Amino acid sequence: MTVPYQCLASCTRPAGDDFEWLLFGATGSQLVVQSSTGATSTWAPETPTPDVKEPARKDDDEGPPGKRVKLTPVAEPRPNFLHLRTAKDGKYLVAVTAEDKCIRVFQADAQCHLEQLSQRCMPKRPSSVALTPDGTTILVADKFGDVYSLPLLPSPVSEVAATPEPKEEQKKFAPSASVLTVHSGRNRKALEEQLKQAEKGPKQGKEAPKFKHDLILGHVSMLTDVACTTVGSRSYILTADRDEHIRLSRGIPQAHVIEGFCQGHEEFVSRLCFTNAGHLVSGGGDPDLYLWDWLNYRLLEKISLQQPILERYKGHPYQNAPTEFKVAVSGLWSVPTAEEEDDEILVACEGLPALVNYRFGSSSKSAKVIPLTGNVLDLAFIDVPEVGPTAVISIDHVHEPGSTSVVRTEPLASRLQYLSRQSGEWREDKTLSKALEGFSRAVQGDAGIDAECSSSKGDDKALRDMLYGVENLRKRPGAEE
Amino acid sequence: MSAEPAKRQKREEYKKSLAADESALPKKKFYRQRAHANPFSDHALEYPKTPADMDWVSLYPAYAAKTATEKENDTEFNESRAGDGKEQTKARGITKDVEIADIGCGFGGLLFALATKFPDTLSLGMEIRISVTEYVQEKIRALRAQNAENKTYQNIGCLRANTMKFLPNFFRKHQLRAIFLCFPDPHFKQRKHKARIVSTMLCSEYAYVLRPGGYVYTITDVRDLHEWMVGHFSGHGSFVGVEGRELEEGEVGQCVATMSTETEEGKKVERNKGEKFVAVFRRVEDPAWPGEG
Repeated sequence: MTVPYQCLASCTRPAGDDFEWLLFGATGSQLVVQSSTGATSTWAPETPTPDVKEPARKDDDEGPPGKRVKLTPVAEPRPNFLHLRTAKDGKYLVAVTAEDKCIRVFQADAQCHLEQLSQRCMPKRPSSVALTPDGTTILVADKFGDVYSLPLLPSPVSEVAATPEPKEEQKKFAPSASVLTVHSGRNRKALEEQLKQAEKGPKQGKEAPKFKHDLILGHVSMLTDVACTTVGSRSYILTADRDEHIRLSRGIPQAHVIEGFCQGHEEFVSRLCFTNAGHLVSGGGDPDLYLWDWLNYRLLEKISLQQPILERYKGHPYQNAPTEFKVAVSGLWSVPTAEEEDDEILVACEGLPALVNYRFGSSSKSAKVIPLTGNVLDLAFIDVPEVGPTAVISIDHVHEPGSTSVVRTEPLASRLQYLSRQSGEWREDKTLSKALEGFSRAVQGDAGIDAECSSSKGDDKALRDMLYGVENLRKRPGAEE
Repeated sequence: MSAEPAKRQKREEYKKSLAADESALPKKKFYRQRAHANPFSDHALEYPKTPADMDWVSLYPAYAAKTATEKENDTEFNESRAGDGKEQTKARGITKDVEIADIGCGFGGLLFALATKFPDTLSLGMEIRISVTEYVQEKIRALRAQNAENKTYQNIGCLRANTMKFLPNFFRKHQLRAIFLCFPDPHFKQRKHKARIVSTMLCSEYAYVLRPGGYVYTITDVRDLHEWMVGHFSGHGSFVGVEGRELEEGEVGQCVATMSTETEEGKKVERNKGEKFVAVFRRVEDPAWPGEG
């Protein structure tokens, strides 16, 4: 069994370059690249050994609570890719791998081979990455609500400077409270524990990452997306979280200043997207997309997403679904167009075998459901000469359309579908299918995850977890009291 | 385990009997709750989508705006944020904005003192523990009934909230004049430090709801936590530590004195002859945008 492309990224190279475009796809733990000239290559991480793996830090005072460490070193499976972003006209590819929490930066050479320039493991699993508008800094948002900034290309000088000072050392010996402290019995116990620990000497804490990484802002909530933009000379960082917030902070170096919040969502926010006209579209677990005049924190419009889907499918897109269809936005893409004022986006929802297309320019508003052969996983635009922007869509060829758990009896032959604008409508486009035939076909007989991923029950679940995580952000009623 | 239902039943019976007498003060023993709450979990919390959606009238009925009309309540919720002060107050239904927040107000010792110390200011106690919040609410109700003639205690309110997550849902940018963080949970374990009420990230949120020139007041009996709070606020670009005479004079002095003597924990520390560590921070103006200074 082959794994679908869980993420895609593309870039248009500047004129005079070796290629017109590059398409990157991540299938499990492998990266596949193809250029407009047809050159392809694949890249897979070396199987990490337990001692090479960078442990998550524990004792940094800003650090979120550490996880319990597994005592027996198990042979680690290869880490799967979570996100792909291109930087600087596609000169670099920033990729995030899930299990080892690593930010990897790649460069593609003239032969389309990927070279990994750096591999930096974060303290917590990244949930989203973005590049600053100048393309030199990576912003990493994580599940603990923190946003770190990392230079795209770490310089040796900054590495030395970032060596963590052992400032916590003497503090460890000092008890944090006196016996006079009046608090609960549990805290007293904690104090006793601390004193005991102090007698034993400082414990071996987990190491903080050795590379330059600055904590620039944070939420007390799981972050789901981060985006940056500039308006005039001002730069902004937008962060979205599981607790319905969209926060607007200033860009680096003033990221500690919160400018405002775009409030109104009633469920988690999972994706942010800027339109051509500079509006913000946000989506998540709400049945509507929200369109914002974000600089003034003003909601312009709620645009129904659930309605057109329910109408198109007369209910749930999967016939035998036990529950009603709930929107969980897994992708928002602004369609690149020549006219700045023409706002158009494509929307993907988890477990929806279609894209929803919206146009909300000054002229006309429309919502259209574009059915596809399987659930949409990711999308990347490629500018094809004489055709225009073509959406390359990665399709879940393993699961039934409309379901995130039921496996198809007959897997699809292609993991990609292509759409382009033909006389105003998004239609299937075959122009790229020939060129990307190899890319779209399952990487068969290849070692790595494909071989390991025989369809046992556990692997099915692992695959499902990798592909479908958005709906899990929804809060369950009556969690606890 | 078997004690649990009996306790619950007793509490319910007590609360029923309390409801019968408007001016009866609640007894703390029926509202005790363990001292810690996990700020990361999804409590079944109620919070407004935006500050404009907040129902302030039910907390401060004496301040209900008499001119509030349906028409204004109908306006798009975020329009009120763009307008100036007057419109905003009307839309939310009270004639004044809350200006003092007591975050983690506990049983409300400070809050009740603030009611009389600052009779013209609306103060809000915020507490994550549900029973403790109920106690404060009951006590406010009783004190209002007892003081119906001179109309005191109308200017305080208390609600259950996880401020670490939802502070900006309650307050607009720069709405507050003062924030109190009194005897917060010290979360001794290193692993739990992220649960502390003060962190670099949370300082940004406090700065957002505080107006420039506003103050954050902290007090604790845990030296380590005091140093932690001082370190984080002083190290944050939006705050400077307040020192020397400023701590003793004017409103700051008043607040420091009240906080040291009126909080429940403060009194407890006094009885045990423990140490109290006070720190005050002023919210400074935001810096000019890069390249615009």
